[in-house]
Amino acid sequence: MSKSNKPKLSSVFLNGIITENPTFRLVLGTCPTIATTTSVINAVGMGAAASFVLIGSNFVISLLRNFIPDKVRIPCFIVVICTFVTIVQLLLQAYVPSLYASLGMFIPLIVVNCIILARAEAFASKNGPLASAVDGLGMGLGFTMAITIIACVRELLGTGCIAGVNILGSGYEPMLISTMAPGGFMVFGLTLGAANIIMKSIEKKKKAKEAA
Amino acid sequence: MPKHSFKGGVHPLHDQHEGKTSTSGLPIREYIPDSVDIPMSMSIGAPAAPCVKVGDHVKLGQKIADATGFVSLPVHASVSGEVTAIGTKVLLLGGPTTIITIKNDFQDEWTELEPLGSVEECDPTRIVPAVQAAGICGMGGATFPTHVKLTVGEGKYCDTIILNGAECETHVTCDHRLMVEESERIVDGLRAAMRALGVKRGVIGIEDNKPDAIAAMQRAAEGREGVEVMSLFTKYPQGSEKQLIYSVTGREVPSKKLPLDAHVIVINVGTAKAIADAVIEGKPLISRVTTVKGCVKEPANLRLRMGTIIADAIGECGGYTEDAGKIVMGGCMTGLCAPNDQVVAMKGTNGILVFNEKDARSYEENPCIRCGRCVEACPIGLNPYLMKHLCDKGDLKGAEANNVMECIVCGSCSYVCPAKRWLTASFKNTKDAIMREARRAKK
Amino acid sequence: MSLHVSSAPHVHDKDTTQSIMRDVLIAMLPTTVMGVYCFGFNAALLCVLGVAAAVLAEYGYQKITHQKVRISDLSAAVTGLLVALNLPGNAPWWMPVVGSFIAIVLVKQLFGGIGDNFMNPALTARGIMLASWPVRMTAWYLPTFCKGVDAVSSATVLGGYKASTLDMFLGFIPGTIGEVSKVAILIGFAYLLIRKVISWRIPVVFVGTFAVLAAIFRMDQDVLTSVLSGGLLFGAVFMATDYTTSPMTEVGQYIYAFGCGLILAVIRKWGSYTEGVTYAILIMNVVTPLIDKFVKIRVYGQEKAKKEVKANV
Repeated sequence: MSKSNKPKLSSVFLNGIITENPTFRLVLGTCPTIATTTSVINAVGMGAAASFVLIGSNFVISLLRNFIPDKVRIPCFIVVICTFVTIVQLLLQAYVPSLYASLGMFIPLIVVNCIILARAEAFASKNGPLASAVDGLGMGLGFTMAITIIACVRELLGTGCIAGVNILGSGYEPMLISTMAPGGFMVFGLTLGAANIIMKSIEKKKKAKEAA
Repeated sequence: MPKHSFKGGVHPLHDQHEGKTSTSGLPIREYIPDSVDIPMSMSIGAPAAPCVKVGDHVKLGQKIADATGFVSLPVHASVSGEVTAIGTKVLLLGGPTTIITIKNDFQDEWTELEPLGSVEECDPTRIVPAVQAAGICGMGGATFPTHVKLTVGEGKYCDTIILNGAECETHVTCDHRLMVEESERIVDGLRAAMRALGVKRGVIGIEDNKPDAIAAMQRAAEGREGVEVMSLFTKYPQGSEKQLIYSVTGREVPSKKLPLDAHVIVINVGTAKAIADAVIEGKPLISRVTTVKGCVKEPANLRLRMGTIIADAIGECGGYTEDAGKIVMGGCMTGLCAPNDQVVAMKGTNGILVFNEKDARSYEENPCIRCGRCVEACPIGLNPYLMKHLCDKGDLKGAEANNVMECIVCGSCSYVCPAKRWLTASFKNTKDAIMREARRAKK
Repeated sequence: MSLHVSSAPHVHDKDTTQSIMRDVLIAMLPTTVMGVYCFGFNAALLCVLGVAAAVLAEYGYQKITHQKVRISDLSAAVTGLLVALNLPGNAPWWMPVVGSFIAIVLVKQLFGGIGDNFMNPALTARGIMLASWPVRMTAWYLPTFCKGVDAVSSATVLGGYKASTLDMFLGFIPGTIGEVSKVAILIGFAYLLIRKVISWRIPVVFVGTFAVLAAIFRMDQDVLTSVLSGGLLFGAVFMATDYTTSPMTEVGQYIYAFGCGLILAVIRKWGSYTEGVTYAILIMNVVTPLIDKFVKIRVYGQEKAKKEVKANV
């Protein structure tokens, strides 16, 4: 199960943020992406909570990877993930009740966020605890970054503000659809497309450099 | 749907009487060239094998090449004179073809002919062999050997012979003139074919934009057993075999089958005239009427000898009026482009159209706007927009599943397409590709 | 001697994409003029801005993405005018600009440009704007000259405004710029029919289905008022007939138009929304590929031959 060759930690970290960004490249966890990007605060909160769960579950699953029987690994992963989600839920409820209230249902739903299960299955169950934790951190940051970008666009169009700070002035008439579900799909699609264009052009330049 | 019509179709150049007015009133004129380049392959099937040598003197109608199989036709000298060369030439399609060049001595001395006599009294079993010996093929453009068409196989029968006088192609008026001037001979030809096969009903279908031809044919058909003239709705492609059969009989040719499976045989009026000549006078097919028009000084319906170089025919019509941009052999809807004016008139050449530089330019292809006009225009009931999409992708299987093989390449979809997409050309290429693929699979 | 060689046919119908779009623009002229007459200078400004923004958006997008610029086919102009005609007469200047941008870039070009959009661009733009600025999009005013110079806010006929049938025919009722004058729309319809740009099938079946269902469902208004109010005629003539988003086959067009009428009747009867033409057409736009997939035309000579051939030898 375990791989002998150790991956480089820095590349594992960057992998989650850029080359395998869970939102823009793997297109995982789209449900919280659409649901919690109505405002930047929500997006950052969601990202932080998911990152915490990712790091924790990746680390623990990696430690247990040689003891979990293959046939029941998914229930085992879920139990570990549930533990961390419950921790996050209780912490948020205790210290940031306003964020807890606005994220509502989506906190417990982190359990079924496929980024977390996918990383447990694809990475943590095959790599050491340190690498797995770094992978969780990278993936978590990548996810947070992506949904924050989407939230910036949606909040700006939908209310004229970013993180509650008015940017476009009082004359701006908010485009309400942007903070509704259809607007979420549209902005998600457009940012996904834009991110892919940018990454493709970067890759092209890299290849050109390598060739030269 | 009007009477004697079919679903779909288009009305090209309808506001200009299908572009026919300039030649529809002109009598047929004989043109005899100084020399002819007779190709060995003027019809569908195997090319003929030359049986004369350079230096031989040949008489008019003398056989100069033998047929090389059942689906193959002999070739006859279309002028009398000396064989000056046997070489090759690139004609319309494919690679070079063997040609026999004969220099005309203008003696016009016929070789010995074997007439069968009157079409009503001759021995009917000798008619089809006579047609084969005369080298007759379909003169509407498809050039399928007529004796093959007139051979009804085991278990099949024919109850109607249709003479195709629709001439739905734009500009071309050769069949029109032939029906006006040689109506008796055409009916004779039809009767000969009917007697040869023991068929009781013969219908001459003519589009209703040729009232003088209808009147002439009606006069000629009067008192002839089982022959009737039918006026058809003027619409392209009325003269296409499948559409004509539907318009006249209401029957459809089953998919991937021959007209004989609908118990019908369709013969062009020009072919019928050639059959009559072969039976009554024993003459082989050495000339045909061709409409020459466009950028020529005097448009005309010329009776051209087989193998006449088209530059000579255009010269006979006073030459070009302006720089020619494109020469089309046939009509506007289905004609093939000549690579130069040295190609020759053959058994299927019904028109020579000269385009000027401006009209010759091809259209730029624009994106499909899904207007559905191609679907409406298709006389077969296909989805050209979808087929084109699949053909462009190179998806032969998908195109075949969407019936690209049923396409009759009539050009109606390309004609109506507002985005000027090259639909017909694409289908033609795809059909060829699918057939190549099938042949390869067989091997 | 150099000759062109091309594949048959060598003659083409004179209709081009551009000539069709030009005909559509001409057909929309009467209703545009009536809209401007009813709602004044602002309506004219909106139309100009809508067209200009649509053409500019198409030009800009095609330049940026290194495509062939196709603004000369006039399809962007048609979309821009449709966006403007779908706005209330007193809408602010930026609405047609934003609407045209949404229609051209988001709905049309991002999905592949002309012929590849899966929903009617102008109508989708209207739907997005309706969701984004619901107050602006439903701020109906009586035509300016009806009640003196100042615009008076009012409900539409569907919202309870009482108007005579003649007023509804001529267009002296609250509504969007393009939809108010039924006479002008019918003139445009007649022009499109004469020029053979569209067939009668979709508009007539759409309106007919709705009228029959309106009678059966017992709407709040009588059948004639239901048919003449709101954007039904405008949508049926200019929006539902969009080539790209309506079925190709005759039978498919009947199904599509019937579906439009049915959905419209359901929305107007039971929906919380007084107007449903936009959503009826958009939903059927999305169904169109399915209709085209499943409605098959009979191919000549295939399946059972039409008439049993009987021997009469």
